[in-house]
Amino acid sequence: MFEFIIAGIEAPVFLLVLTGFTVGIVGGFIGVGGGYMVTPALIVFGFPGYMASGIDMTHIAGKSIVATVRHRQLGNIDWVLGLAMVGGTMLGVELGVRLLNYTKKLGLSGIVLLTCSVAIMLALFIYTQLETRKAHKKIEADAESGKAAGREVVVSKFPLFFQRIPLYPIVRCKTARLVISMWVIVVVGVITGILAGFLGVGGGFVRVPALIYVIGATTHIAVGTDLLEIAVSGGYGAMRHSMMGNVDMIAVLFMIIGAMVGAQFGSIATMYVRGPAIRYILSYSLVLATVGAALRLVYMLTGQQYEFLSFFAVVFTLGEMFFLCFFIMSLVIFSVRYRQGKTVPPWVPALVVKE
Amino acid sequence: MSADQKKKGAVKFIFWTIISFGILVYAWHSYSSGQMVAWYYYQASVDGYAINAFSFKEATKENPAVLQVGAFEQIVNLQAVPVKAGDRLPINATGIISTKDLKEGKRVKLEGDTIKVMVPTEVKEAKGFKYKDTYKHKGIKTNPWSGAWNVGIVFALGIALGYMAEGFTDLFGLKLKKIEHYGH
Repeated sequence: MFEFIIAGIEAPVFLLVLTGFTVGIVGGFIGVGGGYMVTPALIVFGFPGYMASGIDMTHIAGKSIVATVRHRQLGNIDWVLGLAMVGGTMLGVELGVRLLNYTKKLGLSGIVLLTCSVAIMLALFIYTQLETRKAHKKIEADAESGKAAGREVVVSKFPLFFQRIPLYPIVRCKTARLVISMWVIVVVGVITGILAGFLGVGGGFVRVPALIYVIGATTHIAVGTDLLEIAVSGGYGAMRHSMMGNVDMIAVLFMIIGAMVGAQFGSIATMYVRGPAIRYILSYSLVLATVGAALRLVYMLTGQQYEFLSFFAVVFTLGEMFFLCFFIMSLVIFSVRYRQGKTVPPWVPALVVKE
Repeated sequence: MSADQKKKGAVKFIFWTIISFGILVYAWHSYSSGQMVAWYYYQASVDGYAINAFSFKEATKENPAVLQVGAFEQIVNLQAVPVKAGDRLPINATGIISTKDLKEGKRVKLEGDTIKVMVPTEVKEAKGFKYKDTYKHKGIKTNPWSGAWNVGIVFALGIALGYMAEGFTDLFGLKLKKIEHYGH
């Protein structure tokens, strides 16, 4: 047990490092900060709520930098796209925070927040799941007909619509191979920023699908570019939390050390898989987070009478971290076995790359 | 991978390990020496008594903690220092018991030159995993520069650890290539 002087609690360092490690794997792989998983975990460890949010946001900023460095090496970052979006994201985050304060004044924030979270995550899960299944089938059909599948297969037609909007200035994103109106990028940044600010998260789980289905980036580039966004927006959030005194830096540093190792696994694991594999994991993380949030929503709507709902919501959220890590590691192991010509389950070849 | 690239990887790994270690040691030193805490618990935002909330960790109504009031430079255990809004907090102060609370006398009472505290540092809420601070972190202002300092440290550490890991994989001949996003 370690005494965290600023947070005012005693907590085991091992658990903080482990949390950082698991969220590092998931974040490095699907490009999310993982705030919706870490804050409940820190509360369970005994950190006060305000400290849990502050420590989480600050650790997300650091972890995203670590993962961004690795994704830069893997060529998964489009700097033009990322930097064009940053301004919109920051504006959106500020608007989202103000919207949250407004709902707080109306006395609705808890329920409104959870309802929005559940609705958005569920909608994203359904769409991502349907689209990814179609892409998965297309890869299998191509393989059967002897066509080689690329690393990325997206069957959604939305990006073509948004890429055709003729509003100047038009920007050319070299890595993502996109030519798109700057306004589309900025508006996507503002909208995802509002959601991030309002829901109090980094916003990766909204921004990654937006980068894929609205802007038209490949899944790998969406993941890398989003981590760059999270580093910037997370840094801003961390500064605000720090100024309010919500951050115990030593807790943050322990988590970053764990996240450093995890983020390497997560980022490097993207080399072994095709885009749809990442989107599957993203969609599963969304549905698991939805169940956790839905349990909390029912708990609040029933006047906080049924304590087991709150308990299960926390247990579910913590279990989600380990489940996703297990899933990612399994994919990498299957990919290695596939490369070595060993037996793998029939659904694996379409999701992994041979070299 | 050539021996030259491995050598470059080794240099990169050693350089960034030293930088990472330096940042961690600096952060650890400023935390354990109390410098970081003093930055956090910086200034009083209300009139009252600066206290170290840990000193009455187990206090209850039946078994209250009694704090000695005085103009101490450093708070040691059961001590309290009178402060006005805007005053710099003494060393080891982690919160303020406000004059308003003392007047109410429900959780704390001023008795001569002592303060009787009848609540612990933290109260567990009846439901869920939530804990509520009683006087810790209350009535204080943090140093506005602490935000920039924290973010600076976190960014510097993130970059150093990121490049350290990159150097590590290079060192072991695992230099990762850019992903072919559009090829077959």
